[in-house]
Amino acid sequence: MKRYDLIVVGAGPSGLSAAIEAARCGLTVAVFDENAKPGGQLFKQIHKFFGSKEHQAKIRGYKIGETLLSEADAVGVKVFLNATVSGMYMDKEILVRRGDAMEHCKADAIIIATGASENMVTFDGWTLPGVIGAGAAQTMMNLYSIQPGQRVLMLGSGNVGLVVSFQLMQAGCEVIALVDASPRIGGYGVHASKIARCGVPFYLSHTITKAEGPDCITGVEISQVDDHFTPIPGTQKHFDVDTICMAVGLSPMSQLLKMAGCSMIDDPRRGGQVPLVDENGETSIPGIFAAGDVSGIEEASSAMIEGRMSGLSAAAYLGFLSEKDKDSSLNELEVALNSLHQGMFAPGSKGKAFTKTDEGIAVSQSLLKKGYLDEADIARFNHFDKKSGVHPVIECTQNIPCNPCQDACPKDCIKIGKTITALPRIDADSTCTGCGMCVASCSGQAIFLVDEDYEPGYASITLPYEFLPRPQKGDLGTALSRSGQPLGVAEIIDVRSAKAFDHTTLVTMKVPVAQAMTARFYKREAQRAEL
Amino acid sequence: MKSINDRSQDIGPFVSQTDDGVIICRCEEITKGEIRQAIHDGMFTVNEIRRYLRSGMGLCQGQTCGRLVKNIVVQELDVIPAQLDPATSRSPMRPVEMKVLGNEEVTHV
Repeated sequence: MKRYDLIVVGAGPSGLSAAIEAARCGLTVAVFDENAKPGGQLFKQIHKFFGSKEHQAKIRGYKIGETLLSEADAVGVKVFLNATVSGMYMDKEILVRRGDAMEHCKADAIIIATGASENMVTFDGWTLPGVIGAGAAQTMMNLYSIQPGQRVLMLGSGNVGLVVSFQLMQAGCEVIALVDASPRIGGYGVHASKIARCGVPFYLSHTITKAEGPDCITGVEISQVDDHFTPIPGTQKHFDVDTICMAVGLSPMSQLLKMAGCSMIDDPRRGGQVPLVDENGETSIPGIFAAGDVSGIEEASSAMIEGRMSGLSAAAYLGFLSEKDKDSSLNELEVALNSLHQGMFAPGSKGKAFTKTDEGIAVSQSLLKKGYLDEADIARFNHFDKKSGVHPVIECTQNIPCNPCQDACPKDCIKIGKTITALPRIDADSTCTGCGMCVASCSGQAIFLVDEDYEPGYASITLPYEFLPRPQKGDLGTALSRSGQPLGVAEIIDVRSAKAFDHTTLVTMKVPVAQAMTARFYKREAQRAEL
Repeated sequence: MKSINDRSQDIGPFVSQTDDGVIICRCEEITKGEIRQAIHDGMFTVNEIRRYLRSGMGLCQGQTCGRLVKNIVVQELDVIPAQLDPATSRSPMRPVEMKVLGNEEVTHV
C-alpha cells in the first residue's frame, strides 16, 4: 500500500490550493481526481473573476487554473488523473480506481475537496435529451468546443445561470429566455445586465411546466408561479428551443466524508449534507479536512482560500508547521476570506431583500426584476459633475466584493476604498484620459466611457465586447439599450485590443448625443458575405 | 417535531397527483407516484425506499435523484429535510465493474 503524508481528493481550486500549501511545508502530497483533466471547474470559467488582487480578481478562471497547476508541479505535488476515489475508511485509508485496478492508499492526513454536483428540478419531459445542467453546457462549450444547442432556455438566475447564459451566447447559441421561480434575479446584477443588453428577456416568478418533443426537446412551456411556487393555470407561454439548461443550485458531494464517519449535518444554507467543520476545515475526525464546495456551496475564490487554510492546518497537524506560523498564515487568509463574505451576496445574506446599498442609495428594482438599470437608477447612481470630454460611467450598483477598477485607473479616477464591497466612486478632480483600462478590468463589464462632445450632435460610447467576430472600424450596426432594444444606427469609430485588456475588446461607437446615456451595446449587422 | 420513525402515524390515504408519472430516478426509471406509494406503504427513509424500489441504486448512484427523493419524502411526511436520515454512503461510491473491483493489483507508480 502506497503511503503519503497527505492525500487530497479532488484537483479543483480548493484541492490544488490545499496541496500546494501543504507541499510547500514539506509534506509528500498526492492529489486524486476522477476527471481526465485537472482544475475542476476552473478551466470552464472563461470569465474574469471578481474580488481584489489577493483573490486574483480580473483574471480569467482558466488562467488561475494554469497557475495553480504549474505551482503544484513546482512544489512536487503528484496529481493522479482518471483516479476515482471510491471509498474512504478508518485510519485514513482510501480506495482508488485507476485503470482496471483498485488501489489502496494511506495518508496521515486527508483533505476532501470533491466539490459539488448539479441539482435538477423535475417537470413533464425533463428526462428528454436536450435537458442538461448548466455545468454540462459549460463543459461542452469550454472544454470540448461543442455547442450544446442552437436555441437555449436557461432555468435559474443565480450567478451560474447568468454566467453560463452569457457564455452560451459567446459560443454562438441563442439564449431565448432566462427563467426563475424566484421573484428576484439571484446572481450579480452586472452579470444579468450583460445578458439583458443583448436582448434576452427574464421571466421571474416563472418555472418550466413542460418540456416538449417526441424524442428530444423541440419546445418548452413555462408558467407563472404563485407565492408558494405553484404554477398558475392559464399563464403558460411557449418557446421553440432545442436545449433546456438547468442552473438550480449545487449539492456538496460529501459521501466520502460520511462514509469515513465524519459528523454530518443537513444545512440548507450550505447546500445540503455537509460535514461539521471547524474554522480551518477540520472535520470531527482529527486529520480529516474538508475544503471548497463539499463543505458548503460558495464560489471558486473562497474555495481556493479554504483549500489553502486546510493545507496549512494539515501541515500543522502533522508537525510540519509550528502552531505560531500556522496561526499567522491562517489569520491572513481569514481576512481575505472574510472580505469575500461581505456585501449583498454574502453567504449570510442569502434570500435577504436589500432595499438600500451600504451607501444608503435605494437599490434598483428594475435590475432585480428585469436585469437592467432604468433611467431613474442611472441618475441615482451616477452623480458625477459633468465635465467636457471623455469620462467613465460606472453601472455597478450592488455591494459585491470586487475592486479591480480602482487599481486599473492610472489617473486614480476611480475610488472604492478599503471596504471592497463599497460602490466605486468617480473622483471629480481627476481627469480621464480615455485609456479604457477600467472598462477592460471590470469583471462585470459595467464600466463605459462616454464622451458627449465627440462631434456636434454625436456622442461616443466605449464598451467592453467579448464576442467574435469583433466589429471593425467603420462598421455600421445597431446601438442597443440596456434592455437590448434597438435605438438606431451606430458607427464603429474605434476598436482596441491589448494584452492588458486580456481578450476584452474595447469597441467605441458613435451615436446621436441623445443616446449617450441609453445606448450600451452594439449589434453587428450580418455582413454580406455571411448572409 | 414529528418523529419520522413513528410508523403508526397517520399520513392519510394515497391520493394520486397529476405529476405522479414523472420519472424521478432516471437510472432505474422510478416515478414520483411509485415513490409516494412506497411512503404510504411505510417506507419513511431514503434507505428504505432505496431497498424497496432501487431508486438511487443505478449508474449515477443517486447523484441526481437523491435530493429529489428526499424532497418527496419531506413533502409527503410534512417534515423538514434535517429530520430525515440521508441515504447511507458506501464504497464503491462510483460504479465499478466487478472485474475491476476484484483486481487489487499494486500498480502504483
